[in-house]
Amino acid sequence: MKTMYGTAMPTAIRSLALAAIAIVVIAAASPRAAMAQDAPPPAVDNGVDENDPLEPMNRYFFELNKFFDTILLKPVATWYDGVVPEPGRDGVRNFLDNLRSPVILANDMLQGEWERAGTTASRFGINTTVGVLGLFDPASGWGMPQHSEDFGQTLAVYGTGEGAYLYLPVLGPAPPRDLTGFFVDQFFDPLTYIYWDKPKTVPTARFVVNGIDQRARSLKTLDQIERTSVDHYATIRNLYRQIRANEIANGQRDFDDLPDIENLNFDTNEPNTPSMRF
Amino acid sequence: MVTTRMTSSVMRPSLSRAHAARATRALIAPFAFCAMLFAGFAPAAAQASTDQAAVSFVEDVSTRAIDIISDKGISKAQREEEFRALLLETADMNRIAAFALGQYLRTPTEEQKAEYLKLVETFIVKVYVTRLSDYNNEKLDVLGAKAKGDTQAMVQSEIKFTNGREPVKVDWWLIKNDGDFKIFDVNVVGIWLAQEQRSTFTTVIRNNGGKFESLLEHLRTQISKAEAGDISGITTSSN
Repeated sequence: MKTMYGTAMPTAIRSLALAAIAIVVIAAASPRAAMAQDAPPPAVDNGVDENDPLEPMNRYFFELNKFFDTILLKPVATWYDGVVPEPGRDGVRNFLDNLRSPVILANDMLQGEWERAGTTASRFGINTTVGVLGLFDPASGWGMPQHSEDFGQTLAVYGTGEGAYLYLPVLGPAPPRDLTGFFVDQFFDPLTYIYWDKPKTVPTARFVVNGIDQRARSLKTLDQIERTSVDHYATIRNLYRQIRANEIANGQRDFDDLPDIENLNFDTNEPNTPSMRF
Repeated sequence: MVTTRMTSSVMRPSLSRAHAARATRALIAPFAFCAMLFAGFAPAAAQASTDQAAVSFVEDVSTRAIDIISDKGISKAQREEEFRALLLETADMNRIAAFALGQYLRTPTEEQKAEYLKLVETFIVKVYVTRLSDYNNEKLDVLGAKAKGDTQAMVQSEIKFTNGREPVKVDWWLIKNDGDFKIFDVNVVGIWLAQEQRSTFTTVIRNNGGKFESLLEHLRTQISKAEAGDISGITTSSN
């Protein structure tokens, strides 16, 4: 799974996505490859802001993940947060982030982001050696902060649309483009090959610990979002999309691409402009 | 650290850039002042003064907001009232409320509209007093401003944390109303808050057969739950 250390919100959303991971992985390490075929074809825009033709199903899975989150992931994450001191948790986070460097590097290069690729490679070199196998992150302090990258973003840079919104058990928000990205990223990960025909203990542990750590880092944020949402599902859907758009743009803002609000007012009798999209 | 002009739409704050900007500003300030005297002949200077006004506005609003959030000597109700007063003074509430309705902007009756405006105001106060509680005693640095058309401005800023947490980027979308700036939207770590609000509100209405009343009901429920301090079981699935 991707990690976005340092920004609370993306981590928060992704953690919700990870809500049921621990259970499923522990219960049966079943191959999840079947999901790839389940992705629906990109739907036609249904004329409203949300491209979500499978909303009833998505909402069902959303509630399902929330259930598993409540009974398992959140309690475990709360426990982890309370028992393991912060330096320990940071070590875990740094280690997992460092382990993901090859995937980030591959996608940096596929996007032609050579400067960022250089940063990723340097980070990996520095943190693996000076940072004691990635347990520490001295590179951040030397002006090379962590950034996220994945094949879903690469596809977006190539011009692929997100497709219809899709919310899956375990994975959470996974519209076709990002779901594809998730599977392709496995092939950029050396661990996939190292454990290709071996027992999957290490990859599984990595997956589970990653989920717990991300959830632990967003306990407060996710609580706040839930508490302040008129419709939790719709809020998460929109936050996911905005966060992805921001990640794809590598944090760069395009102020010219915002909805036109100039004449927007309750009191005017202007015709509606439902062309507002995000 | 205040720069009056951004070299591109994107600011990459760095120490050296900040020093350079400050030095540049110190150099050009006297000239800018002279130029402002001839503002009628120098649109660039007029632009700079607009940017400066936007920067000052955001500095003022954010300082006041953080002061309210950080004031431990007042009750939650008082804090909300102070925040509401600040919001009414500095945010374009009508426009925000209208925007949040998306394609349903024309559907409420006059009475519904009036109630909606009141509910949305209370809701926003409660939401942001909660969500902003993370930022108490922190400081917001304005990085720069940029005009967007004739009546709008974008201000970029970041919150630096005293505990070494990575800074949070905050962008402010301002609109000029009668010569004064008002906030239309705020972007925190890449998320436009009004856009999130609109997406949620329109979803509620659509999932209830386009009935505007359903949104009012959801807002009432949410507000009363927030007042009761109930955190758990707040899910308001609208199917």
